[in-house]
Amino acid sequence: MLQFENLTKSFGAKSAVADVTLEIPDGQMVGVIGRSGAGKSTLLRMVNRLNDPTSGKMLHEGRDISALKGKDLLEWRSRCAMVFQQFNLVGRLDVITNVMTGRLYHHNIFTSMFSIFSAAERAFAIRALDRLGMAPTALQKAETLSGGQMQRVAIARALMQEPKIMLADEPIASLDPMNARLVMDALRRINQEDGITVLCNLHTLDTARSYCDRIIGMLDGKVVFDGTPPQLTDAKAREIYGAEADEAFSEGVTSTALKGTESKRANLRLAAE
Amino acid sequence: MTTPSFASFSQAEIDAVRRDHSSAFPTLRSDVVFWGIWAAVIAYVVGSLWFFEVYKLFSASDRAWRLLSSFFVWRDMDEWMYGQIYVGIGQTIGMAFLGTFLGSCAALGIGFLGARNTMPFGFLRQVVRRVLDVFRGVDQLVWGLVFVRAVGLGPLAGVLAIFISDMGTLSKLYAEAIENIDRKQVEGVRSTGAGPLKTIRYGYLPQVMPVFISQSLYFFESSTRSATILGIVGAGGIGMIIIERFRAGLYDQVAFVVLNVLIVIAIIDWASRLIRARYIGQAAH
Repeated sequence: MLQFENLTKSFGAKSAVADVTLEIPDGQMVGVIGRSGAGKSTLLRMVNRLNDPTSGKMLHEGRDISALKGKDLLEWRSRCAMVFQQFNLVGRLDVITNVMTGRLYHHNIFTSMFSIFSAAERAFAIRALDRLGMAPTALQKAETLSGGQMQRVAIARALMQEPKIMLADEPIASLDPMNARLVMDALRRINQEDGITVLCNLHTLDTARSYCDRIIGMLDGKVVFDGTPPQLTDAKAREIYGAEADEAFSEGVTSTALKGTESKRANLRLAAE
Repeated sequence: MTTPSFASFSQAEIDAVRRDHSSAFPTLRSDVVFWGIWAAVIAYVVGSLWFFEVYKLFSASDRAWRLLSSFFVWRDMDEWMYGQIYVGIGQTIGMAFLGTFLGSCAALGIGFLGARNTMPFGFLRQVVRRVLDVFRGVDQLVWGLVFVRAVGLGPLAGVLAIFISDMGTLSKLYAEAIENIDRKQVEGVRSTGAGPLKTIRYGYLPQVMPVFISQSLYFFESSTRSATILGIVGAGGIGMIIIERFRAGLYDQVAFVVLNVLIVIAIIDWASRLIRARYIGQAAH
């Protein structure tokens, strides 16, 4: 179980995350929604401590993870994988090495500096890639992949970490609808098959509704909604999104919903322009 | 299809994956090559160090210490000829500035002659490029020696040496920059009815300008450093003063001069940064 107690992150006078208190049981798939600047990214980045909280606490299985330092912090990061909007792969390294960086925490200085990975690690990496349909690209340079492929490699890297929690910061915001669906399907499958908690920032309402067990709505750093998808009414959603409501509702922009109407709608939009 | 945890990953499963994806696993041969190269590099480094009698470094500690301390203990400072020293530094800056300024102006023109998209005659372009290779391939110090013979001791030889070698390198850099520009912008200018020269001035030049400014400034700073060395072969500037003091064993004065040169270079570096930021903008460092 992951718990936030009065978690706050301030940048100067402005609070990106303000007094958030939440409990996330193991194995849940949680979608965090809200307009840009609502504090979704900051919240996620605090969980694996890419950002440090200004005040408040984060507990994982009773352990205070907001106070971890040194080796303990690295150990926590290795157990709490992160997937980014811009994929954040190392372009000059091949795909399998990118995936195997998920094991770096377990390496000593010598094996990591000389890039020595065991046969078991290679096999494990291939397995992880295979789950995402990316095994054939294992020896390609990561920079030669398309966006959708990169994101699947990034998820394989996260799987390589054998995480307890997987954080995904707008994982589909830079992808086309087809790839967005592949990536969301993969995250959902990992959540269900491996029982990994998935905490996922999403810009579009539709994706959150169709993939998540639970939706958390944020507005100006505060949690303004916490419930199941059916509980999230349109009126409530409009309140969360404010001026960006129309963009969030028109799922065509970045969404995963490929329900046949999608391409038609895209055509209509093109025609209108 | 879930994967077993890494710890419980069995040898049989590893072998199964290895069978299907053998190319992702190192072979005995690739391991031997990898470690062989490392072993060869390390053996070569150790061997060369031994060949060059690296142990002298440790037995010379006494002499090295005396030399080092004489750099830092400054004596009879009122007798140092400051006028001569600062004239020398001024001369060095002048040599570097003149050489680089003239060299980069010439290089701008030659760059257009050596770029594929602005020089349609392949033969002429090859001639330009090979001549540049000679200017660039011969070290500045050698040019210094040549010009000292040709025009005699003094800063003029230094200016010429810097001019020739900077022109060689900068021309190549500019030619490459010119080849990498955006054709669409050039086409836009040409579509207005501008002739070749006007197209170069308004279509090419603005695109090459950031490279031109930043490279020329960098070369000015670098030439100031190398002008110090040029003085040692008699091509004027502060180098002559350094080598005279060094031969006379006046290490404290050598240290003082070197310190002054460092300050000058720091100032040039700082000024270049300001100029770059002003004309190119923060992003294009």
